[in-house]
Amino acid sequence: MITVTIDGKEIKLEKPVTVLEAARSAGIKIPTLCWHEQLERYGGCRLCLVEIEKMPRLQTACTFMVADGMVVRTETEQTANVRRGILEFLLINHPLDCPVCDKAGECELQNLVGKYGPAKGRYKEKKRKVPESLEDPIIVRNMERCIMCTRCVRMCEGVQGASAIDVISRGGHSHIEPFSGGKYDCEYCGNCISVCPVGAIMSRLHRHSFRPWQMENEIETICPYCGVGCTLIVQVRDDVIKRVVPRIGSVVNNGLLCTRGRFGYEFVGSKERLTTPLVRIAPKTQSGVGSQESTLSQPPFDKGGSQGGVISELFREATWEEAISLVAKKLSEIKEEYGNPAIAGIASPRCTNEDNYIFQKFMRVALGTNNIDSTARTGFAGAQSFIENIFGQGATANIISGLSNSDLVFVIGGDPTTVNPILGLQIRACSRNGGNILTIGNFKGLEYFSPQKLVPVLYTEDILLEGIVTVLKNKKRLSDANSKLEAKIKDISTSIEDVKNICKIEEKDFNEFLNILSESTNPSIVIGKETAQSNGASYKLLLLSAINYLINGRLYLLSDRANEQGLLDMGCAPDILPGYRPVSYVESKRRYESIWESELPGKTGLTIFEMVNAAKNGSLKAMYVMGENPVYNLPDSKTVEAALRNIEFLVVQDIFLTETGKLADVVLPALSWAEKDGTFTNMERRIQRLRKAVNGNGMEDWRIISEIARNMGKKFDYSNAEDIFNEICKASPLHKDLTYEDIEKGGGIYPYKGEPLRDGMEEIQVHNAERLSVNGKLYLRIERPLFHSGTLSRRAPALVKIYPEAVVRISPDTAKALSFKEGEVVRVSTKIGSIELPVVIDKALDNFSVMLTNNFEGKSAYRLMGYDIEPVTRASVLDGNTVAIEKAGL
Amino acid sequence: MEKVLLKNIENPNSADINEYKKIGGYRSLLKAFDYKPLDITDIVKKAGLRGRGGAGFPVAMKWSFAYADTKFPKYLLCNADEGEPGTFKDRPILEKNPHLLIEGMVIAGYAIGAQYGYIYLRGEYPGAYHILNKAIAQAYENNFLGDDILGKGIKFHLAVHRGAGAYICGEETALIESLEGDKGQPRMRPPFPVNVGVFAKPTVINNVETLSNIPLIIEIGDEEYSKIGSSDCPGPKLYCVSGHVEKPGVYELPMGTILRDIIYKHCGGIKAGKNLKAVLPGGITTPVLPADKIDCPMDFVSMPKHGSMLGSGAVIVMDETVCLVKVCHRALKFLEHESCGKCTPCREGTGWLRSILERIENGEGVEGDIELLLSVSGNMLGKTFCPLGDGAASVVQNFIKHFRNEFEEHIKDGKCKFKSLRV
Amino acid sequence: MLSKAAIKELNEIRQKYPDASAALLPALYIAQREFGYLGADAYEAVSDALGVPRAIARGVGTFYAMYKHKPMGRHIVQLCTNVSCMILGAEKLSDFLKNKYGLETGGTTPDKRFSLVIMECIGACGTAPAMLVDDDFYENLTEKYIEEILEKYK
Ligand SMILES: Cc1cc2nc3c(=O)[nH]c(=O)nc-3n(C[C@H](O)[C@H](O)[C@H](O)COP(=O)(O)O)c2cc1C
Ligand code: SF4
Ligand code: FES
Repeated sequence: MITVTIDGKEIKLEKPVTVLEAARSAGIKIPTLCWHEQLERYGGCRLCLVEIEKMPRLQTACTFMVADGMVVRTETEQTANVRRGILEFLLINHPLDCPVCDKAGECELQNLVGKYGPAKGRYKEKKRKVPESLEDPIIVRNMERCIMCTRCVRMCEGVQGASAIDVISRGGHSHIEPFSGGKYDCEYCGNCISVCPVGAIMSRLHRHSFRPWQMENEIETICPYCGVGCTLIVQVRDDVIKRVVPRIGSVVNNGLLCTRGRFGYEFVGSKERLTTPLVRIAPKTQSGVGSQESTLSQPPFDKGGSQGGVISELFREATWEEAISLVAKKLSEIKEEYGNPAIAGIASPRCTNEDNYIFQKFMRVALGTNNIDSTARTGFAGAQSFIENIFGQGATANIISGLSNSDLVFVIGGDPTTVNPILGLQIRACSRNGGNILTIGNFKGLEYFSPQKLVPVLYTEDILLEGIVTVLKNKKRLSDANSKLEAKIKDISTSIEDVKNICKIEEKDFNEFLNILSESTNPSIVIGKETAQSNGASYKLLLLSAINYLINGRLYLLSDRANEQGLLDMGCAPDILPGYRPVSYVESKRRYESIWESELPGKTGLTIFEMVNAAKNGSLKAMYVMGENPVYNLPDSKTVEAALRNIEFLVVQDIFLTETGKLADVVLPALSWAEKDGTFTNMERRIQRLRKAVNGNGMEDWRIISEIARNMGKKFDYSNAEDIFNEICKASPLHKDLTYEDIEKGGGIYPYKGEPLRDGMEEIQVHNAERLSVNGKLYLRIERPLFHSGTLSRRAPALVKIYPEAVVRISPDTAKALSFKEGEVVRVSTKIGSIELPVVIDKALDNFSVMLTNNFEGKSAYRLMGYDIEPVTRASVLDGNTVAIEKAGL
Repeated sequence: MEKVLLKNIENPNSADINEYKKIGGYRSLLKAFDYKPLDITDIVKKAGLRGRGGAGFPVAMKWSFAYADTKFPKYLLCNADEGEPGTFKDRPILEKNPHLLIEGMVIAGYAIGAQYGYIYLRGEYPGAYHILNKAIAQAYENNFLGDDILGKGIKFHLAVHRGAGAYICGEETALIESLEGDKGQPRMRPPFPVNVGVFAKPTVINNVETLSNIPLIIEIGDEEYSKIGSSDCPGPKLYCVSGHVEKPGVYELPMGTILRDIIYKHCGGIKAGKNLKAVLPGGITTPVLPADKIDCPMDFVSMPKHGSMLGSGAVIVMDETVCLVKVCHRALKFLEHESCGKCTPCREGTGWLRSILERIENGEGVEGDIELLLSVSGNMLGKTFCPLGDGAASVVQNFIKHFRNEFEEHIKDGKCKFKSLRV
Repeated sequence: MLSKAAIKELNEIRQKYPDASAALLPALYIAQREFGYLGADAYEAVSDALGVPRAIARGVGTFYAMYKHKPMGRHIVQLCTNVSCMILGAEKLSDFLKNKYGLETGGTTPDKRFSLVIMECIGACGTAPAMLVDDDFYENLTEKYIEEILEKYK
């Protein structure tokens, strides 16, 4: 126990901390500027100098460690004079432009000068003049105002790990710059903005549009983008979101945000938002006939209004009453005429648990079908159920921050720093804490974190993984704890020769990798969507499960949508009911029948891909799409489009008129994430509260559906999201007895009070796919960029400014072989289509791959990608799409 | 006194290992290996060797701290940054007697348990870089460096790391940062380099001259060694004298030689029969001494008692034609240029002081400027992160303390009367 | 891109350090030699070679006075003007360089033959005034001597 006296107060401490921390623990505030609780100690600004008895010099409280018996004085005449002196130094070159500075009101320098008194104007020389840098579309840099606390640099390098900015030059010439000196080439997390104490680094999104004290409301909610589920503070003025900031201390992201969370909010106020229900007037023609195809790739709206241009040719506006009764009537008729299996619904990983719960209940109770699925089917759903079948429910529900405490993180199938950026930071932190990063493949975002890489030839990952299992199982003893899995492990074996010859991995690298892997005591395995969507995915997942078992690790499954986990937990899948209870279990079915007071269909429904096929062959007559854009977000999107055109009655409920919406018979405007209450469940299976921040036109998804259900004579009486949540927690055995209150108190973390599903696991099935041989061809693969996330990010101007257009990425060797220059426009073609795009040469790419994102209308990867279905996980397999690129115009 | 550090340097081939061996080189190394590491530290302690880099810190104390730390590997760094203006004492060792330094480093490495050493050489000594690299290669060939030195099972590897023009890298923690490939900005202490130094390992940093004393101490023993120079500050010392003396240069003299004697006896007095005005006795950041205050023994202990510091032993002699406002201004210009920018008072204060001095020197000073100089430097003194900022403040305060009238005259006359005298 | 020889040299230097990033200063010297000065290309080459983020490489490079950030003349005249040299007339010599050769501080002659860099102390105070031309020391300078010296550098 250490006892120190600060300003006469006796403070007892368990372990040595800095004087500053000791003082803060006792409520004594010492002024600081360069110190920041998220950053490493620095001691540069010298503002926190305090008197310490028996020390000849003043000491900086932010760096000096307490010792037993120490006596500290933080506010004396001497310290006040020193601080005035320091502030004078900071002000001699600082412009006095507070009246026009956006930071005024929340500027730490301004506040301190207010406290210690202004300097006396003794500086007669010229102030340093640096023009404001507006070269970047997102971040404005004003180096005149910079006080060189280096908080931004320490954030960028030491926490974010992007190392995109640094202090340039030295001494009085020091200033902060990105590499180019002007525009940033960074991850645009904006965490530098968060920590800048003055107005030197700021966001351009709300430049000169408000003063901090004019903010009317601050709402704590959850980010709409990815499965990490970061807490956002949404700041509102005049019913408009002015700014989104993180909160230090929030559980998942603790004061940090990624680019999407921080800058991606502007879609909420987009002029393109749907405001009234729309009913189709134009006849539906098949794609390729007439002008229909081109309408899809045109901008959805003319400038200046949501109901102009192309749209008014397709739809007329309708009242809610009309639209709702029309939907109810048509669905009832189709159900009557063709039977339940002719109807299907697509749920949304962007909608809340409450929305998704009501959606599946509606499909099952009102329409009597289990034909419910979502884009989670493209990877996450199947991979998770495969893993849970081996290790039990919750196997992937691991705490994200646990990654930084792992001694090893093994990454495969996707760059976590772009798919789930805040999770990616935990991997970087692991490396910084001395942990090992092992990757199968090349991940740019981990480049500076000393990854030990094995990069097998494209489509030979399974052999490498077999090799790893083969070595591991000889190094580790099988414990018989999981006999089902062990039986499988016993059959796995391959030779190092195969690893060397087929994967083209050096034996030395392989051995080193395995030594590190097998010596780890607290490992984590992170699996991305590329693995889940690959040829032979189920076998790879088995191999990864085997590795996980042998090294006793934790599994993380990357998830690129905010509520992918929640949607599954809510039963939005053809084979599961809420709480992840199989439809085929009689007890589950009975349970829900009694709670919902309705008979339920017993037959497993169609997956999203089966729905597309059914639509194509005409057996699917009606479809209800909630908050999803399958024409865009499913591979082979042109086929999907044609299939949906074939549907007799298509309802699309969304916040924008998407590509899918344009095919609809009725379009229903929903509220966006910022306009409603509810919950999301993140990839840790943490349930978190969404809170309404602004008003919107439209209704909550659950409310629209409830209205339709009521119109169909079903009892769907809910007055708010909480009502629904309470029903969920009554019905779902997994969520038993949870309440919003529990969640707010932090009780939303898995395992909840209820029961995970542990019994009734099935045999492990794998599909041994035939290997694709690469022999010199080029393959189209999906790029998952940090800055985009489909339909939402396309309408977020800031994100579009950062990554404005579709590009095709090729390796330097490929570029050389085809003699393409950076920026040159080329035609990219596959069996099913072609698009013209500018080339980007990417050093991180191998010579077999051509990368394209699925984020730009008319130029999306899915327009060019065919797929197979993995028989076990039932996910789409995107491997094997050969591609040709040639100069455009030839 | 017989030359030790500069022994043989008139020999044009003095940097060659064979020439060095001819005059008894590397014999101390053999002898040292017969001692236990701690015994060597003990001998150095009894010899009373203090660091020659400027601070005069007892060498054996540093060594024993590093030896006691349990982390491995350990590092021995030689500070060859020699950046303090006026200092050129290490250069002759580096260029003409590199093997003396290498021998000293191997012994020191053995004493502290370090298996790796680096010589952090200032970028401005390109010649020394090549000479040292060659000398190191020779030492490897002769098995004085390597995994099994002289078959004694002792390992020590040595490399030269070239700085790139930053005075602050002479400060130990900034030197470490720079060696690690970072900006040379000082680190906070604790932890001290002896525990967490370069590559986060225990590290001893000693000056070139300091390490070059080690072979001598081993050769003649602590008793003989401590007879050289001042009693509380023994050993030979390299004084480098520049400015207005007849015979400027590097002088190897016993520690504690009287400043006046250095100037008048050894350096032949003031150039061209002019009068002495002021001396910067240990480099430009040590307090200036007026002509009548130079009867002081030049060692670490005595100099503070006489109002200055030994510093690096760089004696800059200024005659009556020199304008001290200008010298003060030049010193601040240097320190402004070299401020690493980490801490507020130094980053902002050095530039402010320099600009006030510039005004005064240019005849644009106004009443109150001297008070302003004192106040601004007062706001720096004791508040900076490292001694560079303190040094800047103290330069200004000491010039004003001894030569206030010269500053006042500049302001009153609106011009510098020395301008016409300038060479 | 660095030349093959430069990469080989860098790899050898790299072996002297436990961390690749510690080789940054020597790598910047090599890149400066290869590219003439440290511009974006040079920093990117170093960043690729050592795995040091390029913004950091540039931050470090700009901290040190001996790295050049714009094209320089074929020979760099590095004149010391610190106190010992100053009181022995270095400023007059810098005036001389300006008047006779058109060499301004930090500037380059139109024929790209010389660039002038004003140095802080170069450790030749005992033989002041002094300068370095490229890697060679010249001491006890006079105007006439400077003329003779510069003749040697074409
Ligand atoms: C600003 C500053 C510059 C310094 N420059 C040098 C230098 O150039 N050479 C040197 O040996 N020591 C220099 N020192 C002193 C070193 O920090 C350190 O005390 C010395 O290397 C220790 O070696 P020693 O114990 O052998 O003297 C400097 C210190 C400061 C604060
Ligand atoms: S006093 Fe401060 S700014 Fe100056 S060199 Fe030291 S740490 Fe850097
Ligand atoms: S807050 Fe302590 S020095 Fe800046």
